[in-house]
Amino acid sequence: MQTWTEGGAGQAPLPYPVYIDIVTKRYFDGVDNKHMDQVLDCFTPDAVLTEVTSNTVHHGREAIRAMFVRLFTDFENIWHGNFVHTADPESNAICSQFTVLITPNGGDELRYENCNRFYLKDRLFHRVYVYMSGDNLLKEGDA
Amino acid sequence: MQYEPVMTRAELIDFALNKYFARVDAKDMEGALSCFHDTALFCVQTAFTRHSGKAEIRRMFEDFFGAYETIIHRDFTCTVDEANGRITASFVAELHDAAGQVTLLTNTNFWRLRPGPDGAKFQEVYVYMSGANVLV
Repeated sequence: MQTWTEGGAGQAPLPYPVYIDIVTKRYFDGVDNKHMDQVLDCFTPDAVLTEVTSNTVHHGREAIRAMFVRLFTDFENIWHGNFVHTADPESNAICSQFTVLITPNGGDELRYENCNRFYLKDRLFHRVYVYMSGDNLLKEGDA
Repeated sequence: MQYEPVMTRAELIDFALNKYFARVDAKDMEGALSCFHDTALFCVQTAFTRHSGKAEIRRMFEDFFGAYETIIHRDFTCTVDEANGRITASFVAELHDAAGQVTLLTNTNFWRLRPGPDGAKFQEVYVYMSGANVLV
């Protein structure tokens, strides 16, 4: 059995729409509506999420949960949209560009132009890389 | 689809890595610029910077080539959307300046290719950088 690598060989391709749907209809829909279980169900148990622009790394689903608890608590409104995807069944990966409109509690709305790279293992996110056009919003939570 | 796709997966990867980045690393200005349509947009999203049209992209590369003695792009991981004429790559940019300072960036580029009379070229390029913008 081949060792899993990001976008590496030996992976079973999924139908093209599966990649778009897990990113938009499952993951970001869950984030925008603060549905924690829907969000976490997109990740493998040992997934790693890295915010590249601040080099913040969240190891495992529980660390990712703690990160989202903090995000959901600190921001009253979150919206992701204007997506353009590079979806690649052959490498079991999808890279997405999008706009984020996000409002801190009692504050003014912020606009980000971000991208994520998602590398799947089977049908779930195993490695995720986030680039942000402003200060990191995905800070470590209290695990 | 945004632009009609005309390149295969292998052609998209070859265009991004061999026709574009290899020429950037060689400071081959005309070769690098030949990868862009005249009306191309080059956006550094993490710095809200946009270079519009080939003349502005040329000026950007003139400054970039002048700022660094050695430019190396390496360690590529490509994601290819052949059905839509788009390719994304993560990579390390290793930049050596005249004082011996080395800048390492872990970046991601998104390219959207549009067909034209001279073949498909970059119409839109979006760069996301892990550090300060070097494509000013």
